[in-house]
Parts: sequence; structure tokens; C-alpha cells
Amino acid sequence: MLSRFDYVKPQTLEEALAYLAENAGTKILAGGTDLMVMLRRNAQMPEHILDIKSIPETRRLDYKPQEGLFIGASINVNEVAGAAMTREKYPALAQAANALASYQIRNRATLVGNICNASPGADLSGPLLVYDAKVHVANSQGQQTVAIHEFFTGVKKTVLQPVDIVIGVSLPDVDAADAVFLKQARIRGHDLGIVGVAARLTAAKEFRIAMSAVAPTPIRLTRMEEQLKDRPLTPELAAWAGEEAAKSIRPISDVRSSAEYRRHIAGVLVKRALSQLLAAGGI
Amino acid sequence: MCERYGAAKTCFTYIDSGLPRISLHCRVNSEAVNAFVDPSMTLLSFLRKELKLFGVKEGCGEGECGACTIIMNGLAVNSCMVLAVEAEGAAITTVEGLSPDGGLSILQQEFMNHDALQCGFCTPGMLMSARALLNRNPDPTEAEAKEAIAGNFCRCTGYVPIIAAILSAAKLEKEARAK
Ligand SMILES: Cc1cc2nc3c(=O)[nH]c(=O)nc-3n(C[C@H](O)[C@H](O)[C@H](O)COP(=O)(O)OP(=O)(O)OC[C@H]3O[C@@H](n4cnc5c(N)ncnc54)[C@H](O)[C@@H]3O)c2cc1C
Ligand code: FES
Ligand code: FES
Repeated sequence: MLSRFDYVKPQTLEEALAYLAENAGTKILAGGTDLMVMLRRNAQMPEHILDIKSIPETRRLDYKPQEGLFIGASINVNEVAGAAMTREKYPALAQAANALASYQIRNRATLVGNICNASPGADLSGPLLVYDAKVHVANSQGQQTVAIHEFFTGVKKTVLQPVDIVIGVSLPDVDAADAVFLKQARIRGHDLGIVGVAARLTAAKEFRIAMSAVAPTPIRLTRMEEQLKDRPLTPELAAWAGEEAAKSIRPISDVRSSAEYRRHIAGVLVKRALSQLLAAGGI
Repeated sequence: MCERYGAAKTCFTYIDSGLPRISLHCRVNSEAVNAFVDPSMTLLSFLRKELKLFGVKEGCGEGECGACTIIMNGLAVNSCMVLAVEAEGAAITTVEGLSPDGGLSILQQEFMNHDALQCGFCTPGMLMSARALLNRNPDPTEAEAKEAIAGNFCRCTGYVPIIAAILSAAKLEKEARAK
């Protein structure tokens, strides 16, 4: 059985925040694709389930020049993948959204739920890291934003407190659309990645490279980004970056892959990602 | 703990939580449904246990197999991953709603014509994923059809006849519309 819980669906953010502040043991429900599995396995036994999908602030999905893209916490992954702005301006995010789970799951799963669940292998974390996304967090005391690179604190852990709701995630406006997401999984369309790589070349010709499933949290390879800076992107540089990336990570072995294979394929994907940026016209 | 398989194995059984029931109003296969449901009941359990729509299958219960796929507000979703109470106000179609006139729809007929089923356990979920695809994209490519059913596992027929059936149904539906 699913654990015993009340179900509440507040219509306003204020109501939701007040409920969270007053009722310890409340768990937030967005798409439920992670939470329902936990409930079924009794891995989580909340007393209250708070469904955020009626809260107007969480239903926003819009792009404004200069400001960028805002993705509300109730926006599902297919909506993210399908939005014209995501495909045009943030291709790495669109590619990752299309690579997450199956079509049915993507109709329910949300981008925000993906990062709040904080799986080391969360597909959407890499693109958000390379775009320097901001997480908009609210509680009954007020609202604040957290940089995505400060959001993850460990396996299945984030900076969020039980009283916090993530309203949405924002990505700054970008000039260049040079970015890719690559994922290696056991089966296409159904599995968390063995490794995920997001790579981006900014308008200022700086590299941003992030990886999932190779460390307790999704990571940015900031040291390597520094080393790549101001070097012209060539096939040799892509190959070098692949080797460096494989050396710099300390992945674990698990049901999906051995550490050795992870390390190897991480290098391959980094090289491939930079090669694709090169083919797309990168410097 | 599992009654059927003994203490060594855990399996999932639906047990009423005993908490106050929550009202649920929705449309299922075009009929109005007004009910009071247990807050911790899944939509899958509700459709099978309360509405006796046994076409909705439970395979894994965890979003992996797609046997429980239904169409909710126009979107294919795994009903095992949705709480029944989340369906408030929703329009739901199950496999029982695919042939309202009692006959078979073109899509169902094409599954038969192409031998796209053997045991049939995955079939309702396959049909619902295929229906959702043809509704949003009446002329899919083979790759698009594969993508649409990537979340539906078939353990005995194999996917070749299923894809052929979907593409053939798309063609026949197009011809039927042109008439
Ligand atoms: C079969 C299957 C395949 C999958 N494949 C993949 C895959 O390939 N790649 C991948 O990355 N993931 C995969 N997943 C995991 C899952 O689908 C994603 O992580 C999804 O994006 C989670 O979003 P959700 O809205 O369903 O989250 P929910 O289950 O609703 O919530 C997840 C967690 O985040 C919390 N939460 C949700 N929203 C908020 C909020 N606004 N504020 C604060 N906390 C919040 C919840 O309390 C819960 O703890 C898969 C899952 C299944 C069942
Ligand atoms: S029973 Fe729902 S996906 Fe398997
Ligand atoms: S027909 Fe038996 S599982 Fe598909």
C-alpha cells in the first residue's frame, strides 16, 4: 500500500506556504514520478501530500529578452522540450528534456521535480549548470534565489528545507545557442543515464561543461573550463578534454555501470560534445 | 510482506488508508464520474477497483512498463504514477473508450490485422500510447512511432508488428478522414 497521507491542493502560494509551515511531515507533489515510487516502496512516509499544480506562480513558462527563460515548478518535461524558446535558445536543455524517461513519464515529470529529487544522474541538472540557472525558492518568511551550482549538497540532498517550495527555475538570456547534451544509458528512452554531459560555448567563447552521474551531485568541470579558455576549439583540443575529463572524475560502480566504464564513456562523451560544438561552428 | 508469495517477498496490495475520503469529479470515457476516494489510492487502482475498467493493466506499478497507460486531458500518462484525487476535473480515456460504438476502431483492427499482440497484456497500454500519438501527430514517421511507445514494454510479440499496425492505422485513418 501507499503510506497513509492526507492530500491537499492549495490554490495560492500563500496557502501552500502556510500549510507547509504548520504541518511538519508534508511532502510536495509535482509530477509524482519520483515521489509515487518512494511512496509505493514506503521509502517515504509523509503524513500530508501537498500538490502544487494549482499554484499560478508554478505554471509560468515564458521567455523575455534580457531576462531569459522562466520555467515554473508545474511545467512538465514535454512542455520544456516542446517550447520554441527552449529549442532555439537553450538546445542542451531541449535535448536533455527529450532524453528523460519515456514520453508518458515526460507528460507528468517536471523539470523542478527532477532537480529537487537531486539524483546524481538527474538529466536536466547538467544543462541547468551550463546555463548558470537560478532556483527560485519561497517559504513563509519570503523568497530568495539560489544559484544552481549551490543547490545540490549530496546524493538526494539539496539546500531546500521542508518548509521551502521551489516556484521555478530561471535561465539567463543567452546570445549564442551553441550547446549540446549527450547521454549514455543502458536503454534509450527509459533509464537514468550512466553518464550525462552538457557542454556549452558562450558568446564570449568560454566553455561550460557539466556532468551527471559521475559524482554524488551533478558537477561543473570548472577547472577544465579554465584550462580550455582562450584555446581554439580543434579536434585535438576535444580529444584532450575528453582524456582530462575522464581523469578528473571519481565515479562509482552501481547497477547501471562499473566505475571504469563510466570513466571511459565520460571521456568519450566530453570529446564528442566538443566535437559537435566544433562542427556547429564553434571556434 | 506479501500474502501471495510468503514473507520473503514484498508485493504491493492496495489497502484502504481509513482517512477521510476526498470527492472526485471527472469524465471517464465520456461519462461523468462522481466519487469519494481514498487520498492514497492511485488512479490505476481507482479505474480498476472502483470503475471496473479492467482494460487498464498493472504491470510494474512504478512507471517502467506502460501497461497502465491512459489518456488524461489529451496526454498519455502512466496511471500508476497518478493519485486518483489528482484526476479532479480531468477527462480520461481508457482502452474501453476507444471503440464507443461497440465495434473496433481502426487502430484496434490494425493491431489484429498485423498480429500485433500475443498474450495481450501490454496491448491496452500500447493502444493508448498509439492513440495519443495519432491524436497529436496523425502522420507519424517510424521513428516517431517508436519514440511514442518507448515507455511500453511488450514481452512476447516484439515491436515490429506493433509499429507496423500503428503506421497502417495512421494511413487508414487519413483515408477515412478524406472520404
Ligand atoms: C520509469 C522512470 C524513468 C525515469 N527516467 C529518468 C531519466 O531518464 N532521467 C532522469 O533524470 N529522471 C528519470 N526519472 C525520474 C523522474 O521522472 C524525474 O526526476 C522527474 O523529473 C521528477 O519530477 P516530478 O515532477 O515527477 O517530481 P515529484 O515526484 O513530484 O517530486 C520529486 C521530489 O522533489 C520534490 N519536489 C517536487 N517539486 C518540488 C518543488 N516545487 N519544491 C520543492 N520540492 C519539490 C518532491 O517532494 C519529491 O521529493 C524516471 C522515473 C521513472 C519512474
Ligand atoms: S504499471 Fe504503470 S507503468 Fe507499469
Ligand atoms: S503481447 Fe504479451 S506483452 Fe505484449
